[in-house]
Amino acid sequence: MEATNLALVKENVTKCMGCGICRGVWERKDVAMCPVWATGVGFEDSSPRGRVTVAQDILDSHISYSSPLADSVFRCTDCGCCATTCDAMDPNTLEPIVNVPQIVRAMRMDLVENSLVPPLVRDYMKAVHINGNPYKQPQDARGNWAKGSEVPLYSGQEYLFYVGDVGSYDERGQKMARSVAKLLMTGGVSLGILGSEEYSDGNDTMVMGESGLFQYLAEANIAAFKKHSIKKIISLDPHSYNAFANHYDQWGAGFQIQHYSEVLAELLSTGRLSPGRLGIKATYHDPCYLGRHNEIYEAPRKVLGAVPGLKLVEMPRMRKSAFCCGGGGGNFFTDLIGGGECSPNRVRIREALDTGAEVVAVACPLCAKMLEDALKAESLDDRIAVKDISEILLDSFA
Amino acid sequence: MAANLEEIRGALEAIVGRANLSGDAPDMIPYIKDSYSTMMGREVPLPDFVVMPKTAEEVQEIVKLANQHLFPIYPRSFGVNIAGSALPYAGGVVLDLKRMDRIIEINEDTMTATIEPGVTWGRLRKEANKKGLDVIPIGGPYQTSPVGNHLLTNITLYSSKYHCDRAVTLKAVLPNGEILRTGSWASAVGGEVNPYFRYAYGPDMTGMFRGSLGNYGIIVEMVERLRPVAPVEKNVFFGFEELAPCLKAMQAVERLEFSRTCQASNSSMTAHLILSPHRIKDPEQRQKLLARLPNYQITLGLGGTEEMVALFERVANEKIAEYGGKPFCLEPEEMAILNQVAEGASRGIMHMYAPCSGFAAVIGCLPITHVAEINGIVKQIVGKYDLRDPLSGEPLDHQLIVLPYDRCSTVYVEQEILYDPALDQAQLLPVMQCLRDCYAQIVGKYGASHTIPNKTLMKNMLPSYVELLTGFKKMVDPNNIMMPGGPYSLD
Ligand SMILES: Cc1cc2nc3c(=O)[nH]c(=O)nc-3n(C[C@H](O)[C@H](O)[C@H](O)COP(=O)(O)OP(=O)(O)OC[C@H]3O[C@@H](n4cnc5c(N)ncnc54)[C@H](O)[C@@H]3O)c2cc1C
Ligand code: SF4
Ligand code: SF4
Repeated sequence: MEATNLALVKENVTKCMGCGICRGVWERKDVAMCPVWATGVGFEDSSPRGRVTVAQDILDSHISYSSPLADSVFRCTDCGCCATTCDAMDPNTLEPIVNVPQIVRAMRMDLVENSLVPPLVRDYMKAVHINGNPYKQPQDARGNWAKGSEVPLYSGQEYLFYVGDVGSYDERGQKMARSVAKLLMTGGVSLGILGSEEYSDGNDTMVMGESGLFQYLAEANIAAFKKHSIKKIISLDPHSYNAFANHYDQWGAGFQIQHYSEVLAELLSTGRLSPGRLGIKATYHDPCYLGRHNEIYEAPRKVLGAVPGLKLVEMPRMRKSAFCCGGGGGNFFTDLIGGGECSPNRVRIREALDTGAEVVAVACPLCAKMLEDALKAESLDDRIAVKDISEILLDSFA
Repeated sequence: MAANLEEIRGALEAIVGRANLSGDAPDMIPYIKDSYSTMMGREVPLPDFVVMPKTAEEVQEIVKLANQHLFPIYPRSFGVNIAGSALPYAGGVVLDLKRMDRIIEINEDTMTATIEPGVTWGRLRKEANKKGLDVIPIGGPYQTSPVGNHLLTNITLYSSKYHCDRAVTLKAVLPNGEILRTGSWASAVGGEVNPYFRYAYGPDMTGMFRGSLGNYGIIVEMVERLRPVAPVEKNVFFGFEELAPCLKAMQAVERLEFSRTCQASNSSMTAHLILSPHRIKDPEQRQKLLARLPNYQITLGLGGTEEMVALFERVANEKIAEYGGKPFCLEPEEMAILNQVAEGASRGIMHMYAPCSGFAAVIGCLPITHVAEINGIVKQIVGKYDLRDPLSGEPLDHQLIVLPYDRCSTVYVEQEILYDPALDQAQLLPVMQCLRDCYAQIVGKYGASHTIPNKTLMKNMLPSYVELLTGFKKMVDPNNIMMPGGPYSLD
């Protein structure tokens, strides 16, 4: 069986010294932990180090891809924490040379090419392929979240507000999309949405190894952006941001992308939004695709910091070392990691609770949903709430 | 085992539950490799199963099953031993003990923690710190287990003060399925309430397990020694131009008996620790740093009240000055790395190894008297094979670490040869030959000893000694189910 994509990152694989640092450690405040290994479920191949060993054996032709292997390979959230904790770096660039997420992505691409993906992944791909979104909802319902609000369709405004799958179809995501749009418009940002002309950003499709489908979606989006001469985009979802900022350029995207937290921070610093007082204690959860993957750590904190009376209490694992909520790498849709007391979202919500905060602030619709599910599972609804930073801002206006 | 594989699978599943057993290659592959086996090009077969028990009772049942069906067992805590010692050389069952992760007790009075093998240094440190105590850490990753370490090498910057004796007592499932408890814990009457005294009831059975690498059974609980955290803890660094006076000074200062930790090392070690890889590759930057570094250094850890630490520092300064040593200081961020390493179990040490990923070590325990000489021998052999630093490409200057035991009665010497792990077996040959030559010299001429048994070393032992080591194994493991095959089996 072919391992063509893995062969391209061979150098990456051979540099691993097997020290196991990347599995993470609970007590180091500045070191993140692999959320899959942290569940305590699964064998050594659930750890980043184990993943590299498996990759090595595939490259050495000791084993070949199989269905059980696929299950394990797809249980990675692409959170990137192992790449930040691994100290094996390229002597010249100082980039990590054992980049496990990159190895995992290459293996997933091979698995897709060899038709060996787990059924839940296949279902996801199929839904995106047929419907243009994983929710199996009609394309023309994509803009329904904005009905009844004043958010206009795009017609030459300065910005496109790109909402993504979760913001378009998931109830929690829609709520967040509405509050972000409302704030942006209150701050005088001229924006519009594409509604049924918006396509899935393809980020999770790409991370799950379906590069063909990703390219198809990217090209469809780029064509729509070009058709409307869109030059500037504000994304709701850090997953979309990641796809646009780091991958769309290969197909000639040529637009400027900002995450909404960056725009809100700007509106607040220039006085175009003036929040009211809100005497709450909040903690902030860094989304992996905003933080580790794109190094946007400050903007959301600036938004929170601008609310008078709001006291920000950080979790010990934050910024680069933030603990993943478990929603990345496609797991939000496939749930291959599963629930349980040590599932990443439940671990994370307990960490948030330990800070004494009443609110855990997020800046990603997937994180919002993952952490709200964890609230319910932990029966903590009456002790801590999950709110998007825009929702907190809106509360302050009220 | 193949004939009744399904029967065994069923029985194992009944013990640990379906989710905690796997016979799938992708799940099992990470258990047949470590950096050592990769370097040696050693092929280890896939085990038949990997199982993850949760309790001592489950371990007992697995061991009984192994005796019934005669399959081998290879326990591991986190498998980072870098010596190939947890690999399933004869197939069978790997016992992954990570689910046995209870910290059963942290006792402030006895300054001990009773832990299972799946507890990491990191977790234990966190819990111990809450009670004003700390682990006595090694220089390796936080993500490994104090239990796994007791069964392995157990070398630490704290060795001068604590020797290898961090394990107080232990509870093991013997290879015949019986439970053994050591020290005062051995008593069936009251042992449960007092597992805190190692030297009870005759020969040191806790020590029997040190370095046994799983041959004598599976440790399911261990009483681990902790140390008090002093109000002030400080590391001080002294530089020397020559190795001989550096070692003399170390000996003298250790005899004053006030240090918490102690280590001597060379500038190659320090340079690799504090220079980020791109700087070490740049000849100009490397030369600039090396010019600021003393050729050899002593790191001392001091602890106590503020007055005590000030006094210790003054006394250490005076004593070390007698041998021509001087305190040295680098840039704050460089000192931060050295301090981190001096505290053990640090990421700093990984920083050094990781960019090269490959290191081969010439290890020996021997009187300090011979260290300077064997350092010269290793230097000469490394030169003979024209080994190169994998980062700078320049002639390799091996890294020297000297850790004293018992205030310098003996020292642990490690001389490390860094290499590029991407080298193939043929390219690695000079490294291997160099290692062999070094060992032949330092063992043959100076009797340098190792901390773990392996078959090659066993050939040098007195027959009576080997008979006792293997005889104990035969007695508790008549069916040779624990760790058979491979270089570390005591069969
Ligand atoms: C960069 C680096 C630096 C290091 N520096 C040091 C150092 O300074 N000092 C030092 O002492 N070590 C050092 N080590 C090695 C270190 O000892 C190991 O990494 C670690 O302590 C071993 O723990 P583990 O849980 O991974 O053990 P494992 O690898 O799981 O086990 C070690 C051995 O014990 C056996 N075993 C494990 N658990 C049990 C059990 N419960 N019952 C019976 N047998 C068992 C295994 O079969 C194996 O033979 C270093 C390692 C690295 C990678
Ligand atoms: S990317 Fe995240 S989930 Fe995947 S192996 Fe690395 S740390 Fe684990
Ligand atoms: S990926 Fe990096 S941190 Fe993980 S085992 Fe390999 S070298 Fe160590």
